[in-house]
Amino acid sequence: MQNLLAEFPSFFTYWNIIFLLKAMLVTFLLTAIGCLFGFTFGILLAVIRKTETIILLPLRIIVIFYIEIFRRIPFLVSLLLIFYIFQILKFSDSLFFIAVVTVCLIGTAFISEIVRSGIESINIAQWDAAKAMNFSYLQILKEVIFPQAWKVILPPAFGFFILFIKDTALASQIGVMELTYVGKVLNNKGFSPMLAFGSILILYFILSYPLYMLGKKLEKKYGTHKN
Amino acid sequence: MKILPIMGYTLIYSQIYEYIPYLIKGSLLSFTIAILSFFGGMFFGLLFATIRTFGPFYLNKIVVMYVNFFTNTPQLVQIYFLFFALPEFGILLSPFTAVLLGMTLNAAAYLTEIQRAGFLSIKNEELDAAKTMNFSISQQVRLIILPHIIKTIFPALSNHYILMTLGTSMAAIFGVEELMGRAFNINSLTFRSVEIFSLTALIYILITILATFCLATIGRYFFKVKMKII
Repeated sequence: MQNLLAEFPSFFTYWNIIFLLKAMLVTFLLTAIGCLFGFTFGILLAVIRKTETIILLPLRIIVIFYIEIFRRIPFLVSLLLIFYIFQILKFSDSLFFIAVVTVCLIGTAFISEIVRSGIESINIAQWDAAKAMNFSYLQILKEVIFPQAWKVILPPAFGFFILFIKDTALASQIGVMELTYVGKVLNNKGFSPMLAFGSILILYFILSYPLYMLGKKLEKKYGTHKN
Repeated sequence: MKILPIMGYTLIYSQIYEYIPYLIKGSLLSFTIAILSFFGGMFFGLLFATIRTFGPFYLNKIVVMYVNFFTNTPQLVQIYFLFFALPEFGILLSPFTAVLLGMTLNAAAYLTEIQRAGFLSIKNEELDAAKTMNFSISQQVRLIILPHIIKTIFPALSNHYILMTLGTSMAAIFGVEELMGRAFNINSLTFRSVEIFSLTALIYILITILATFCLATIGRYFFKVKMKII
């Protein structure tokens, strides 16, 4: 404990703090891009999955396969797989880009499931009623389903945003300079692991706790009245 | 021998066929880690959920802090912390123990939340009735709450079990030779990276599909819960 306190001034120098904050920004960016992309395409995939026309059947099967496959591969495995595939295709050598692509792919699959459960939470009678009023499929979604469903979608979606913040820790394994990697670097520089990983844990907590509270607030607001 | 050339790289799967049994054996260790930490997490989760419902104020706050901390920080960093920082206090953990302990602590936090949500769904009248019959807290939990909530929380629990199975891949980073760890080994032996990791991904997909199927069957026959497989 004495050693730990003695190490404090040499650990929290100006440059170390900048280093840590930059890493935090990378973690945040990875998550934010992944979530934005995941949310957009997740909604798209869920909407495609709920269509009923025969023409779109092959597309539906592809979507179901995509979702089921990417929800069942660990983040680490898909990260390394995409890392090596990019190496073969000579597509890009930016590690950050590889991590972003992986987060986007996995995020799309997970969020699309949340959106689907949100859509399915709306009573089927409302679909029939809207159809009887001659609404088109997109109109039903836009005017009837989503205004109600987003209350069911948002609280768990926040849970998954936090999950992504935590999953991006694995991106340190391919060498993206995010929080966990920086923790390892500081540890290798000779700082006590207690201090290095402890501060990383606290920074992760600072990053995800506001989201957690927001999600909880929304859940409290919308969780009580279900149709 | 199948050879598919892509951009000057040839995928040769035949070189890694001989390692399939080796990988499957590794997946058994993954399963062991997942199931042990799941049941460990269930036990502590039940304890913490009981504390959150019946416990005194300060104990309650401590559990809330524990849950918030563990659900808001990455499991990987938690295990790093256990593995690298605890030796400073003279506690040396083997990689397997560190992973198991980290996953159990992490699972305990999530399962506390899930089980507490179940606890809240119990009607107060039933607990009042039990109190009048002089049931102790452990009796109330065992005989009244658990039989009720197992049905409601079973889908959430099985979902979390699947996530935990995926989470076991983290053990490879610490040198535990489970499925992913063995994939790393073969990768450094043969350098057939894409082939190996795609095969590993396939095995993970099969394992989790099997797990979903088993859990759905258990849920259907023992707890009368209808669960969708897809």
